[in-house]
Amino acid sequence: MSVWVFYISTLVIYFGVDLLAGIALNLQFGYAGVVNFGFIVFQAAGAYMAAVVVLGPSGGVASFQQYIFGSRLPFPLDLVAAAVAGAVVSLVIGLFSLRRMRRDYQAAVLLIVSLIALQVVSADVPLFNGSNGLTGVTWPLGQIVGVTATGAPVIYAAWTLAIAAIVFAAVYWLSKSPWGRSLRAMRDHEDAASAMGLNITSLRLQVFVIGGAIAGLSGGLLVEYIGAWSPGAWGYAETFVIFTAIFVGGVGNYRGVIVGVLLVPVIFLELPRFLPAVGYPGLIDSLQWVTIGLAWMLCLLFRPRGILPEKRMEVTKPAGVPGPAVVPSEGGA
Amino acid sequence: MAEREEGFGISTASPSTALPVATEVASDGGYTAGPVLVATDVVVSYGGVHAVDRVSISVARGEIVGVIGPNGAGKSSFLGALGGQVKRSGGDISLLGKDISSMLPHQRARLGLARTFQTTSEFAKMTVFENLITSGEGNAGASLKEVVLHPRKTAQRERAMTDRAWEILQRFEMEHTVNLYGRELSGGQRRLVEIMRCLMRDPAVLLLDEPMVGVAPHLTGKLIEDLRAIRRDGLGIVIVEHALEVVRQLCDRVVVMAFGKVIAQGSFEEVVQDASVQAAYLS
Amino acid sequence: MLSQLLASAADGIVLAAIIAVAAMGFTLQFGLTNVLNLSFGSVMTIGGFTAYLANVAGLSAWLGMLLGGVAGGLATIALGRGVLRLYARRRTQLFEMMMVTLGLSLVIDYGLQSISQNAIYGYTVLQASPVRLGPIVLTPIQLFIVLLAIVILVVVEAALKFTKLGKALRATAVEPSLARSCGIQTGRVVLITWTISGFLCGLAGVVYIISTQSVDYSTGELFLPLIIAAAILGGVGSLRGAVVAAVVMGIVTEVVAGFGGAAYSTVAGFAILVVVLLLRPGSVSGGAEDRQLVL
Repeated sequence: MSVWVFYISTLVIYFGVDLLAGIALNLQFGYAGVVNFGFIVFQAAGAYMAAVVVLGPSGGVASFQQYIFGSRLPFPLDLVAAAVAGAVVSLVIGLFSLRRMRRDYQAAVLLIVSLIALQVVSADVPLFNGSNGLTGVTWPLGQIVGVTATGAPVIYAAWTLAIAAIVFAAVYWLSKSPWGRSLRAMRDHEDAASAMGLNITSLRLQVFVIGGAIAGLSGGLLVEYIGAWSPGAWGYAETFVIFTAIFVGGVGNYRGVIVGVLLVPVIFLELPRFLPAVGYPGLIDSLQWVTIGLAWMLCLLFRPRGILPEKRMEVTKPAGVPGPAVVPSEGGA
Repeated sequence: MAEREEGFGISTASPSTALPVATEVASDGGYTAGPVLVATDVVVSYGGVHAVDRVSISVARGEIVGVIGPNGAGKSSFLGALGGQVKRSGGDISLLGKDISSMLPHQRARLGLARTFQTTSEFAKMTVFENLITSGEGNAGASLKEVVLHPRKTAQRERAMTDRAWEILQRFEMEHTVNLYGRELSGGQRRLVEIMRCLMRDPAVLLLDEPMVGVAPHLTGKLIEDLRAIRRDGLGIVIVEHALEVVRQLCDRVVVMAFGKVIAQGSFEEVVQDASVQAAYLS
Repeated sequence: MLSQLLASAADGIVLAAIIAVAAMGFTLQFGLTNVLNLSFGSVMTIGGFTAYLANVAGLSAWLGMLLGGVAGGLATIALGRGVLRLYARRRTQLFEMMMVTLGLSLVIDYGLQSISQNAIYGYTVLQASPVRLGPIVLTPIQLFIVLLAIVILVVVEAALKFTKLGKALRATAVEPSLARSCGIQTGRVVLITWTISGFLCGLAGVVYIISTQSVDYSTGELFLPLIIAAAILGGVGSLRGAVVAAVVMGIVTEVVAGFGGAAYSTVAGFAILVVVLLLRPGSVSGGAEDRQLVL
């Protein structure tokens, strides 16, 4: 296998994982207006869960890594467990953070959740082996057909894309449904939406949990490929890569999400990993984060609607309705 | 709708649910049925200060009650307490005979209460059409379970909502705006969208918070006509309004508030003669 | 048992003093401008690194503190006058302003990471033999930190209450347009507030690294939850509230760390914030949309 095949496949896998994250975040932020600054926590929850249900029972304090929930679940239960972990953590966090609270406090609370979860998992070794993290995670589906994820990266890439495509289709359908429209109403004017009979608290929690499940699934897919997971992989800043991606692509537009996920995480973050090192080890990493921060600020300054803004749903008067035919007026005022 | 009529019937027929201030209801305009909305001794306080202090009101079908008063009188807070947006610290509110005092806004809405807001509350990044069908009483999108598990029923509801939306758009001569985003509308059009959205719900009671603010002067006459037409549908309207001329033309009864309290009520002509009202406005 | 509780409580007071210095700065800023400034932690780190550099250059620790505070003040003025004004001109909403400060914190944190080569730097100055009070053991510098917090509280409170500027600040915080029409130069008031709060922020950064004896790029970021929690818990804009909240959070955090595990100490502080957010009427939505940006 050539180096190039491995390289391209890895990029495709990252694209698939980030696309899942982007879809989830777009549903939460672009459609429902829920600003989930702790998004990466849910991806991490899925990754840890997938890791421990694949690794088998923990060897305890004596072994080189210790963790909870250690077991050996067959495919597809590993990914199901990852999604459920993301959903359950979302539900718990959502139940207290999504109450009627000032929006800026809500965002700050979710950011703080992200900072604190990282500290706790790093410090509490029996949980998920502390800051060293877990390693040696394999791919249950691959074992059935007799390949490993890194041994057959093309197959893994196809598998990741297939899952991303299925989730994409499902979320697309949901967000274009009347339910998705209710989310947008809530995003545009919360008080009016509830005065029109929409249960804001439950809509918000629904969108939070669905997003959390997708995030968990994406974490599971990622960890089964890279084989290891540690606090270094889910710093609070990771959330903002996905946010920047959907800002750049276009909030509320799924084609925009694809474009954004191609541009930001893959081109900014993953491609340079394969470049020759400059300066001290880690300099490129640091500068990437600075770039993400600048891109984020520039997005807020210049193009708040992104490359591909949300699409207008146009209707024409159906024939069955009485009254004179009307040509709807075009476009903006 | 049928369910609501029934609830209404029970509330007037059964003595066990007799409403406390039912006898005060004016029986003008031929709408002699009992009140649809009754609020008794409603109190709203912010940090110990009573913004609304024991205010009572009752509204009958087809009746338009105006709430007026100087700035800071607590009118909007009172409306918020009725709609559930503002936390009430005392008093009772009942809608069609049901106690809604501790219900959340969406629960009140589902029982037949609709409202507009002081600053227009159109869904800015949704088209007028979407604004309407999302607000409809039968909006399937309110429930994720419904949308996922009963696609056929959802589609049916969507069709019903669509028909209703076109009907209302036609009635208000707003068909040309269907595909415009909320944020692309003029002030007056936004007000109309808010009101049309409420009508999508076939409400029993409509609360209007300063509906004339931001409406171009030459269009207020039209909006007044529209509101008169709406009241003929038989719903009760509470309207908070600064423009006294509008109140004079529209309201059957006027409640005057100052410093959180009701200082006078009666017909428009009566209250403007009232000495305490004049004092409140001049102070 | 009791002696450990006392020792933990004493540690808690010291932590509280550090939180208090930062939270007073934060609450001043937030109360006046209404921008939830998420780059506050990063500015703290700037203060910390400045003090570290001063130390390397052979300057005294006291001068390091002053320079750390000045660096914090300058960084905050750059944020308020430079960055946020740029956005205000484009009619950026309050909520987006918070997102802007978040982007800025990424830029500062990782900018510092690349400059500092992602290393942890030791900062051991002002160490002296500890003072013993029964089970309580405190170093003189810890006592100094507590004293510093008290002095700042008294001075700033008095300034707010008695000086003309303090009155102008309070008036601007309550009703900026009214204050402006009363002839108060709100722009100047805001600038001075940025300066003071930035100074306190940088100073808090120095004090914090004196206490932890090390500094790296994420120093302030990890401290940020405690600051925000104390400011909100104490009531936005209230210095005394921030200090009381800091004391509560400091003691709870250290007692939990002393008895349970260090891993869960910040969680305890955070749990307080959550309870408060759920109970405090001011934190509930509705009001937020009415607030306006003051720059």
